[in-house]
Amino acid sequence: MKAPARIAWLALPAGAVLAFVYVYPMLDLGRMSFNRTGPTGAMVPDWSLAIWRELLADPFTLELTWNSIVLSAVATTGALLLAYPLALFLFRTDSRWRGLIAAIAITPMLVNGVARVFGWLAILGDRGLVNSILLSAGLVDQPVRLVYNWTGVAIGLTESLMPYMILALMAGFGRLDRTLEEAAASLGAPPWRRFMRVTLPLSLPAIVLGWLLCFVLAMSAYITPKLLGGGRVFLLATEIFELAVTNVNWPMAAALALYTLILLLLFLAAYGALARRAA
Amino acid sequence: MTEFGRRTVLAGLLAAPALRRASAQANIQGTINLVAYAGIFQDNYTRTVVEPFKRRFPGVQVNYVPGGTSAQMLGTVRAQARDPQVDVVLMDVTTSHIANLEGLFDEITPAEAPSLAELDPAARAVGLDKFGPAVTYDHLVLVYDARDLRPPLATLADLWRPDLRGLLAISAPPNIQGLALTAMVEKMEGGDYTRSVDKAIAKLRTLAPSVQTFEPNPDGYSLILNGVVRVATGWNARAQLYSDETNGRLGVLLPPEGSVFQINTINLVKGSKNRPAALAFLNYALSQEAQKAFTERMFYAPTNAAVRIEPAALARTAATPANRARMIPVDWVGIAGIRDQWNNRWRREIIAASGR
Amino acid sequence: MEQSLAARDHCGQRPLKQPSLALMAHLVLTGLTKRYGQTVAVASLDLAVERGESVALLGPSGCGKTTTLRMLAGLIAPDAGRVTVADQDLTQVPTHKRDMGYVFQSYALFPHLDVAANVAFGLAERGIARSERDRRAREALALVRLAGFEGRRPRELSGGQQQRVALARALVLRPQVLLLDESLSNLDARLRESMRHEIREIQRNLAITTLFVTHDQTEALTMCDRIAVMNRGRIEQIGTAREIYDTPATRFVAGFVGRINTIPLARDATGLNAGGIAIRAHGVPDGPVDLFLRPQLVALAARSEPAGDANRLEGVAARTVFVGDRSEVLVDTAAGRLVVELAPGAPAPADGAEIALLWAPETGRVFAREDA
Repeated sequence: MKAPARIAWLALPAGAVLAFVYVYPMLDLGRMSFNRTGPTGAMVPDWSLAIWRELLADPFTLELTWNSIVLSAVATTGALLLAYPLALFLFRTDSRWRGLIAAIAITPMLVNGVARVFGWLAILGDRGLVNSILLSAGLVDQPVRLVYNWTGVAIGLTESLMPYMILALMAGFGRLDRTLEEAAASLGAPPWRRFMRVTLPLSLPAIVLGWLLCFVLAMSAYITPKLLGGGRVFLLATEIFELAVTNVNWPMAAALALYTLILLLLFLAAYGALARRAA
Repeated sequence: MTEFGRRTVLAGLLAAPALRRASAQANIQGTINLVAYAGIFQDNYTRTVVEPFKRRFPGVQVNYVPGGTSAQMLGTVRAQARDPQVDVVLMDVTTSHIANLEGLFDEITPAEAPSLAELDPAARAVGLDKFGPAVTYDHLVLVYDARDLRPPLATLADLWRPDLRGLLAISAPPNIQGLALTAMVEKMEGGDYTRSVDKAIAKLRTLAPSVQTFEPNPDGYSLILNGVVRVATGWNARAQLYSDETNGRLGVLLPPEGSVFQINTINLVKGSKNRPAALAFLNYALSQEAQKAFTERMFYAPTNAAVRIEPAALARTAATPANRARMIPVDWVGIAGIRDQWNNRWRREIIAASGR
Repeated sequence: MEQSLAARDHCGQRPLKQPSLALMAHLVLTGLTKRYGQTVAVASLDLAVERGESVALLGPSGCGKTTTLRMLAGLIAPDAGRVTVADQDLTQVPTHKRDMGYVFQSYALFPHLDVAANVAFGLAERGIARSERDRRAREALALVRLAGFEGRRPRELSGGQQQRVALARALVLRPQVLLLDESLSNLDARLRESMRHEIREIQRNLAITTLFVTHDQTEALTMCDRIAVMNRGRIEQIGTAREIYDTPATRFVAGFVGRINTIPLARDATGLNAGGIAIRAHGVPDGPVDLFLRPQLVALAARSEPAGDANRLEGVAARTVFVGDRSEVLVDTAAGRLVVELAPGAPAPADGAEIALLWAPETGRVFAREDA
């Protein structure tokens, strides 16, 4: 893993770019969080812990954290369950449709997030496709509320994570070898047992990679919760947006953004430790 | 705070010389950048204010930069504090107040912008009598589906009609529509928002289960026109315009229980690179000519007390005596100070009561 | 219908085993066929293997031998034909119910399991208790001389060790049939040689019916009771190593198994000649033919030595090559350059020496020329 010093200078351009587009804004954000906010929202330059104290003392911060973690975990797990069979199929198949299916699976990434969300509104709304079917089938007599709440956000987020999950899984399926399943079959394992004892354990790195990537993406998603949440879903990402863009409370927005970043870093560190122990 | 119109006749007499003085400065040259709302506002403001200004001041080029929300505009101004690229900003009073306090905007005197003298005193007051004054007044309305809603919406209390269950789009705080609604419901319940909003919160809590979304996207008007909801909160000016565009499909109600003004201010950025041209534009935007044209086009009530608006257009603003009587005086700067409290109470007591 | 096809199609010049024998055989393939588009990978193949017998499927790459093995294991479905083991038709039975051990070319050890768990994998599928599993896995590992390796991961093992784990994993189940797919080809030469004997030993001790796919004739010759030489999806000849070597049934078998000299023959009024020199041979088919002659069945002689009944071809010793366990002499003759094995202890002729080559007419095999 260690690059010889001779070629370390190759990392210089990337380092410079990172410093410029990442480190500098982060420092700026950090600085901002030590300012204060006046009673009507005016920002007062300062070196004060007032904002941080307020943020950490507010029980709502904990609620936001919990909401974000639960929703991200649910959506990521949902995306994993849906993406896994598809990714496995795409990884294995030598069908000539493979390219087409892969393209279809990945296309949502290319579609504007807002447009996708409005698609979901058309499908899941009170007068959308799903409710029309349920109503006309007589399964319900009132439209089921599938958007503008947690359900809607979970569905929308799951869908938006799918392409990333598929790509991450396919990239992580490196160790999966058809021959190993044939070997398991020759040793008497029926298909389901082959999956449980060979395919699944061997795709665990891919699953962990995909889950992690999508969890981080879900934690920072705000368009989908904003548009599908109906103002009922309060998350870290939406709150940062709200604080910055509606309340003009930049110091608080900066502090909450850094809080979220630290949370994700802790999460990554925990993952790293777990992965090392597993290896 | 809405005393404009009282001295209409007197102000009208003063208006003509003021404009003449402005034209005397027609040798003003250069480019200014104006940041204001995008979309339908930009279209109409360009047609009724920016273009006529350019005809009057041929040497001045005005770049209309669509600025998103007021808070985003404030962000732009904050980011450019050391080297301003923007000269004039049109934004909500709560944000311009912040910018005034942060020293991002400059003071303006009637000597520099004679139109200031014609303004409703309240319009000057929101700019602390020295910073950018109010340029438009709007007010909160209830918009409804005039085609499908029977009987049509008649009062604020109608929101609680059982047949509207699940068919409401209510913009919750921190959106200022939600703040305005809070003040209106408190008044409807016999309270006074400056003392407490307990009654409003309790009443709105019973409304919560009827609300389909507390964050209409893209806005309440579209949700009604798309058949997603029947009733939404909205701003009068846009609602009137959409109503016209849809041949009355969108109904607009100024609730008899009262409504609240929303105020846009026009501001001069401190350190403007072309102060004379920026002042000329600001002065023109506040002039009778521009105020009349914009009000008759988009139904924002004027802040220039001397202006005479065509009665048909005036009736669709809050500027008629009858409508003005319904308005609840609101101190937006004061509300900005307690906005977080209201916001939290909405989240914990109202939205939480609407289920997940 | 498949059977009748098979009967008509079978390609060896020698008749296959009698049907009565096939009935008694443990593993029987009948009319096994696999096509990939236009290509016929396996063409109506018949094969019968006795209980406890080890048979090699020997052939060049692409001859269909691995495809045959995979059909046998149920890893791919045949387009036609049947697989029976102990009179039980397994053609439609899925792999996991076939009770066949399969050792893959790549070993296919489970990288996420240790050696013991790899070996015990199949035992767990059979619902055998943990302690029993451990015991049998240990036994199987001891059998392949890997006792003490239970806790290692596959990636910590050498190629030969992995190979033996794969073998133990298959053998621990006492399968009815053991299938080995090029199982030694990834090993280095020395390891391959010792593994050949090791596997042969185990196979014999367990008396397990074994089918061994290989492209290496030495492997086939040393490890198996019989060899089936495959070419273009067909079996060209089945027989013991000696039969295949001494009396190849087809031109392909003669050329593929062992080193051999190919001498083009011409016909004249009196019979056959090679480069104008009259040649006698047995079993000569019609049309243009070639003579196939093993290097060790040709004797080097002085020009003066009488030929007697043998064929005689004069030549010049071009070069003598020492190949380790023997020496070979390259001889230029009127019929082209031939390779002759020097008898043990015999002196090598000097380069450029004028010599004669002698061989008995019955030692050569004559087959129709392929491109004719």
